Amino acid sequence: MKRGRALRLAGALACVALAACAGILGLRTSAPESFPHRKHVVAGVSCTRCHTGLDKPGDALHLPGDATCTTECHAKPHDTRSCVGCHVSSLAVAELIEARDHLKFDHRRHLSTAKGNCMRCHDAVAEGAARMRPPMATCFRCHDDARNTRRCDACHRNLADEGTLPATHLAHDGDWMREHGARASSSGDLCETCHKQSYCASCHGQTVPALPAVTRFADPFRASVHRAGFSARHALEARSDPGACSTCHAPERCASCHVAKGVAGLRDRQPHPPGWVGLTSSDNQHGREARRDPASCASCHGGAGEKLCVGCHAVGGVGGNPHPAGWSSRQPLTAMPCRMCHPIGSARR
Amino acid sequence: MKLAIAIAIAVAAPAAGADPLRLRADALASAASPAGLLVLEAENTPRAGLSAEAVVWMGGGRTPGEDTTGDVLVIAVRAQTRSGRANAQVGRFVSTLGALRPAHVDGAAARLRLPRRFDVEIFGGIPVVPGLATSRSWDWIAGARASRQLGDSGSAGIAYAQRRDEGRLATEELGVDAGFAIAARHDVGVRAAYDLANPGLAEVALTSSYRRRSVRAEVYGIHRAASHLLPATSLFSVIGDIPSQRAGTVVTWRAAPRLDLIADAGARFVDTDVGAELTGRARLRLDDRGTSALTGELRRSGVGDDEWTGIRGAARIALPRSFAISTELELVVPDVDRGHGTVWPWGLAAVSWDDGEWQAAIAVEASASAEYRHRVDVLAQLCRRWGKR
Repeated sequence: MKRGRALRLAGALACVALAACAGILGLRTSAPESFPHRKHVVAGVSCTRCHTGLDKPGDALHLPGDATCTTECHAKPHDTRSCVGCHVSSLAVAELIEARDHLKFDHRRHLSTAKGNCMRCHDAVAEGAARMRPPMATCFRCHDDARNTRRCDACHRNLADEGTLPATHLAHDGDWMREHGARASSSGDLCETCHKQSYCASCHGQTVPALPAVTRFADPFRASVHRAGFSARHALEARSDPGACSTCHAPERCASCHVAKGVAGLRDRQPHPPGWVGLTSSDNQHGREARRDPASCASCHGGAGEKLCVGCHAVGGVGGNPHPAGWSSRQPLTAMPCRMCHPIGSARR
Repeated sequence: MKLAIAIAIAVAAPAAGADPLRLRADALASAASPAGLLVLEAENTPRAGLSAEAVVWMGGGRTPGEDTTGDVLVIAVRAQTRSGRANAQVGRFVSTLGALRPAHVDGAAARLRLPRRFDVEIFGGIPVVPGLATSRSWDWIAGARASRQLGDSGSAGIAYAQRRDEGRLATEELGVDAGFAIAARHDVGVRAAYDLANPGLAEVALTSSYRRRSVRAEVYGIHRAASHLLPATSLFSVIGDIPSQRAGTVVTWRAAPRLDLIADAGARFVDTDVGAELTGRARLRLDDRGTSALTGELRRSGVGDDEWTGIRGAARIALPRSFAISTELELVVPDVDRGHGTVWPWGLAAVSWDDGEWQAAIAVEASASAEYRHRVDVLAQLCRRWGKR
């Protein structure tokens, strides 16, 4: 008896846990069904018979209430509850409210263009779709000039404040921090419709005082480079992705920071392992390492430090020709850095 | 620069107090190595087609006066014609011209939209150097991009930029980019930059994604030649290089309305070394708007002796009365510790309050790494916003 009660209790707890889990995950089992528009259209009910007031000014949603349904057609409802409570998708209504709040739209101005044919824009009705708000591509059928000139404010009240993310190739999902470089390069003008200069500069600016991961430290979901314990990881990441640092930072950045923090520039600390530089290729590591990530060498040995390389690799030097096979440059020999190794009058080797 | 500041003030001043003016002041303080930062942001749209924005900051260290510094991040005035067919901006801004690397400049930029959906963009100016008192040499950078729009929101273009430092050619780059939706569910983005000063491919990035219902799959590839990213005036730009590559695929699955699962499987190639790039991430929103959320991430990254494994978790829970608590934890285990410790933990716990106009936050950050055996810091932030956001 006691065991049966325990089993029932465990079963009830499991049901509650499942229900809670479903609620947390956003699963809805009893969502209202979408309105059967198609059925009404096929039955010959015109759109404006239910959706009244389209020719009047104002920001009404033009949604019919129970009275509209029960006045003529459904005079004897099958249930005492509200019609729209079960037969209208809350998601569709939410989309309409969102559209009203975000868009400068007036049905009245579109009636003559559409010639009374609502399905010219609301073509999803024919497919019985739950979402009745036309996609933006439908607007572009006529408003192609606004699209071409990226004048989002022609329709949107304030795109930046909407917080609506793009749905096409600029959808901010997946690993957007990595992806945005390849996507935004061809769509900079679209990015600018939401993001101000300060947004790009907060990571790409040369004078940025602190990255968003620091300035917005209380928001762990805010996109930012150098997230969390990056200062610990940065050496591993830099060596695994040669050149990545150079896309934003000047080569001197490594050395300036390391010297300031006392981890470089110390006379008693040799950063290179034994066998770094030698007279034979077998005990030479520096050439290969320099080619893997020349920016890391340039960080310390740039500027006046380049003379260290020139000492061996200048024309006729013991270090030999540092250029790889097939090397070419459009720089004249008299320009920097060529003239460091190729004194005027010396031949290109 | 002074002209840009004068114009920005002139544009903003008549409308000060008007509805479109937005101001934000952020004060940040750190306790471990005592430092403070004050950031001021302003943006204004005094009339249609004309806007201005500015971000300036001032920071100070432990010794008053000695370490105090400040700078301008952005100060730009932007104007566009009523039709939107031409626009221009002047001041300090980040120029992003197609496949070329973003350039932070003091200068001007303009865009002209031509018939048949063709666009022309140009920019020019002096590359920004940190520090207001830095003596400026006459370095300059200029570039242009011609493009044609594709589909509703895509385009393809070709760009060129040249930078000269004290008259010497530092960068000369040609870029090609394209990004557009191929079909309702399939899209692509690609950019390639070619170094003209020392001819060679500098950087290529490709991404292509396909989405169907709750699943999105992306294939990506990146090729980067480090020496071609250095200024051509550097000796290290002539030694040739070993390009590195990264390729992989990311699958994002909305397993439930509030639950996203993301898997990234790829590889890195540097010279003869190959490393796995694996990430598994889950994100659960605890409400429909995502104001409360949890995320967990497992990652394997790096190449050769620089491979590491990491785990990261973050949470933000909204509390009553505009309060929120958030935390972020990370553990990194390098394959080769080099005497710098076998585990590098990092954690942050914060309490914040945001009533729309005022925002305040305080956090404790703790870590152990190659740099510090252990480090504890306290961060504080106070923010005030004016104008509708």
